[in-house]
Amino acid sequence: MKPAPFDYCRPSTVAEALEALGSSESSRVLAGGQSLIPAMNFRLTDVSVLVDINRVEGLDAVACDPEGVTVGAAATQTRVLDDDGVAGVVGGLRAALLHVGHLQIRNRGTVCGSLAHADPAAELPALAVASDAVISVSGPGGERRVDAADFFVGPFWTSLEDGELITGVRFPAPPAGSVTTVDEISRRAGDFAVAGLVARVDAADGAVRSARLVGFGLGGVPTRLRTAEAAISGWAADHPSDALTEAVMADTSDAFDDIHATAWYRREAVAALTVRAARGALARREAA
Amino acid sequence: MSLDIDSHIRHSTRHIGRSVPRREDRGPLTGKGRYVADIRLPGMLEVVFVRSIEAHARIVSIDTSEALAVEGVQAVFTAADLADVKTFPDYIPYIGPVKQRPLATDTVRYVGAPYAAVVATDRYIAEDAAALVAAGTSYEPLPTVADLDQALAPDAPKLFDDWESNCSFDVDPHKPEVDQAFEQADHTFTETYVSQRQTGLPMETRGVVAEMADGTLTVWSSTQSPHMVRTTVALMLGMPEPQVRVIHPTIGGGFGTKTHIYPEDVVVPWIARRLGAPARWIEDRMENLVASAHARDQRHTVEVAYDDDGTVRGVRCASTLDMGSGEIFMPGTAPVFVTNACITGGYDFENMETRTIGVVTNKTPAGAYRGFGIPEGAFVMERVIDRVARLTGTDRVDLRRRMLLKPGQTPYVMHGGGRLDSGSHTESFERALEMASPAVERTRARYADDPDVRVGVGYANYVEPTSPSYHLTTGHWGGGDAATVRVDPDGSVRVAAGLSAIGQGAETTAAQLAADMLGVSPDDVTVVLGDTERAPYGLGSWGSRGAMMLTGSVLLASERLLDKARWIAAHMLEAAEADVVLEDGAFHVAGSSQPSVGWAEVGTAAWVRTVDLPDGMEAGLETSGFYHPETLEHQLDDTGKINAAASWSNGTHVGVVSVRVSTGEVRIEDYVVVHDCGTVINPALVEGQVHGGVAQGIAGAMYEHFQYDPDTANPRFASFMDYLVPTCAEVPHMEVGHFESPAPEQPLGVKGCGEGGTVGPPAVVAGAVSDALSEWDVDLTECPVTPVAVRAAIRAAAARDATGGTP
Repeated sequence: MKPAPFDYCRPSTVAEALEALGSSESSRVLAGGQSLIPAMNFRLTDVSVLVDINRVEGLDAVACDPEGVTVGAAATQTRVLDDDGVAGVVGGLRAALLHVGHLQIRNRGTVCGSLAHADPAAELPALAVASDAVISVSGPGGERRVDAADFFVGPFWTSLEDGELITGVRFPAPPAGSVTTVDEISRRAGDFAVAGLVARVDAADGAVRSARLVGFGLGGVPTRLRTAEAAISGWAADHPSDALTEAVMADTSDAFDDIHATAWYRREAVAALTVRAARGALARREAA
Repeated sequence: MSLDIDSHIRHSTRHIGRSVPRREDRGPLTGKGRYVADIRLPGMLEVVFVRSIEAHARIVSIDTSEALAVEGVQAVFTAADLADVKTFPDYIPYIGPVKQRPLATDTVRYVGAPYAAVVATDRYIAEDAAALVAAGTSYEPLPTVADLDQALAPDAPKLFDDWESNCSFDVDPHKPEVDQAFEQADHTFTETYVSQRQTGLPMETRGVVAEMADGTLTVWSSTQSPHMVRTTVALMLGMPEPQVRVIHPTIGGGFGTKTHIYPEDVVVPWIARRLGAPARWIEDRMENLVASAHARDQRHTVEVAYDDDGTVRGVRCASTLDMGSGEIFMPGTAPVFVTNACITGGYDFENMETRTIGVVTNKTPAGAYRGFGIPEGAFVMERVIDRVARLTGTDRVDLRRRMLLKPGQTPYVMHGGGRLDSGSHTESFERALEMASPAVERTRARYADDPDVRVGVGYANYVEPTSPSYHLTTGHWGGGDAATVRVDPDGSVRVAAGLSAIGQGAETTAAQLAADMLGVSPDDVTVVLGDTERAPYGLGSWGSRGAMMLTGSVLLASERLLDKARWIAAHMLEAAEADVVLEDGAFHVAGSSQPSVGWAEVGTAAWVRTVDLPDGMEAGLETSGFYHPETLEHQLDDTGKINAAASWSNGTHVGVVSVRVSTGEVRIEDYVVVHDCGTVINPALVEGQVHGGVAQGIAGAMYEHFQYDPDTANPRFASFMDYLVPTCAEVPHMEVGHFESPAPEQPLGVKGCGEGGTVGPPAVVAGAVSDALSEWDVDLTECPVTPVAVRAAIRAAAARDATGGTP
């Protein structure tokens, strides 16, 4: 469990980082290293140059304003959790981060690293899709912004090109009055989800007006549950859950089997989480 | 022997029975533990083993040239280089011989089998070179068998060409009285129960460092049995035993995994001898998951005969062990025999017929793991009782009450010959029910308003054979350990024993006992364990034998020492020996105000001022004792029965769970253990054993599961992402209660307590979840109980019930 030989560099500017990334086809960015380093130790990932961005000036910033939260590429998950302003602007970000690994992992792991890694069972990519986050990317061709909906291509696969670096991500504040929940089934506390759901529910007068529903751990990328989003409109706590469940089933036909769960379990679980999220949002609106 | 502990103790401050603080913790807890991986010798080379990536294949060729060309690589060895090393012995006559070579020769039979060893100046280089050896290996894949059904199919590919089939053994005695019970019973049912594949998973992986210097081969090994390693390494390397020294330094857990003697234990010393340089191999976690013994992995086909009132008339159980490739020393065959021997637990019925089968498959060899077959049997029995209760409408607690051994029913001989010498079977169950009752109420109240949650209770009553014979397991060693006690000139006490300290508190225990025997403070006792050169022969730590063996052997040696010391003291006091007593660390004439003689004066006389000794006395103050429990049997009797344990502990577990119906999530809300391991030497150590055991039991009940691809027999696990170990977040609060039914045949009444904690949880969790979901008639028959398994059971029940929809 020792990595194969590799070169290591620690640039101090984005330009230097891009230069180092461009120096080899199998260069990789090191931010928190919580997935990359084990993969290198298992010799599952072939890395020629490791570009450590932790000393790049300005990349570890977390900035909050009333319209949203911007998280730099080197900002750790703990740093975001510890920021006093984040939860008040993008509550879902805090809710998602509390499901990510354990304290020790969050102390090193980064928000942008999780997006770049694109684990289909991870919370942050789903949150990014659910909240219309925008990812800032720098590369040899200059800078570009990518909508989260277009960023995730497949399991562990994003639209990042060779030599490109995520510099930050912007989570816009959700519409006023909506409730965002992040809920998941995991085998143990801190594990990747067997199945999970980010739900942003807008409710009034005891019924759901509209909702954004994004499942994770279901397919290769965060799964937008569009049929369920349509079915949930007008749903109230005393309505039967069958139609909602059927809608989730229709949205999740890509779900997969692995050693932790079967596809049908994942679909059932996300259906249950959808009902739970709707009920929870209605209860919170009622209490408010 | 006497059961009167006080007759052995001449000290106003008694240490046995008290939670004397553990003396072995300071090092590990302050980062100063010296593990095998901390041993650094000048010029030490690193060894990396190259392991099969095929589950079953012939090795056509191994090209080592590229690896040898890497700078820093000293050597690459394959099976051909080890021709002078003997084959691991096949000592047990009735199981198929596997003729295990230290490195695989032409055939590999599981992913992870070592077939080459790379030696380099550091581990990084060695791994680079190992990758080149792997790339240079040409295999001819052979058809695989990934499970029992595949292995037992009539046309199954065979692992061993010279065997008739993949069946290693099939012991099938017949009991006519069981046939009669089945004929007379009102009803019967048949069911299959499964205990999944797991491993002991010590936090410290295995490791070996070896050095050949001044004619002695010194081996540091993370083993539970250093003397057995010495005997085996000396045998296989063709060296006299006095020229091999095996030391285990600080050990980060063993759990049975480290009772085996593995290829690395032989090959690393061989490399050190061959190259004339110290060599080191530290198992990494990827290796650990495929190269250290797996365990459990049994299937039980059970027939039950019962009456309308719930009386269980008879049970037939065919227990089949998936041995993996079987290439492991000691063989991993014994746990399934233990399963069958202990399957009736503390329940009173003899119409039990067991068949014991071992089958090889293309998986990591199975071997020992804490519990050693007991949890698998308890799982079957408790699930059977719950089923009978449900089928007959009998209360499941009352049914257990009816079946349990009553006070005064011991000694009781079990169906397989195990002799329950004492115990508190009914009492433990009743106490556990009492202790759990508030938790049950509390949990029901907590979820009363949640329509998605059901609450259930599970029970397990079990017996724990302790200090067993090793003859059935090894075909070679027996059972019994030596200890030596010495008093030095300055009066300090040294205890050395063949037992190993693997974290269980053996050093503290030995010091407590010696202190009470000799009337000194535990702080005045130096304890030496785990070094074949400094401690006498013993079989090490496994089988919940530490407490009995250590106290038994130290007691024998102490009493012999005391006899001689009293003789010396009497001479110095110019008194008759019979008048001299030892009190609070000094000898004096009973009833006399004459000054006393302390241990320092006696020790000085014995070793230094030998002129002060009585005429004709041999100098020195060091005595030994070899303790072998009187009633321990090593061979089956004419009827195929055996009492293979020196004593039997017992216990009851009760667990309360909540189950979320919509998602299948299970939470253990509360857990109660009532435990009886005879005379308790150190209550804190016993509770620690129970807590840790229950945590590992919960691992088996809900989390850990080695899964293999059915088509290729490739492991579907590589790390802790795939093999889920519970953390502190998954282990519930537990309450522990004690009974003390002394072992009648152990001089201090002590029994073992190392494994009982692991036994209950699979039965308890499966029982509690089935109870919670009784409205769907859920009756779980295998572990782990995962959310998927729970939902599958509910769905199956809904499918059975045409009128019900999916809940």
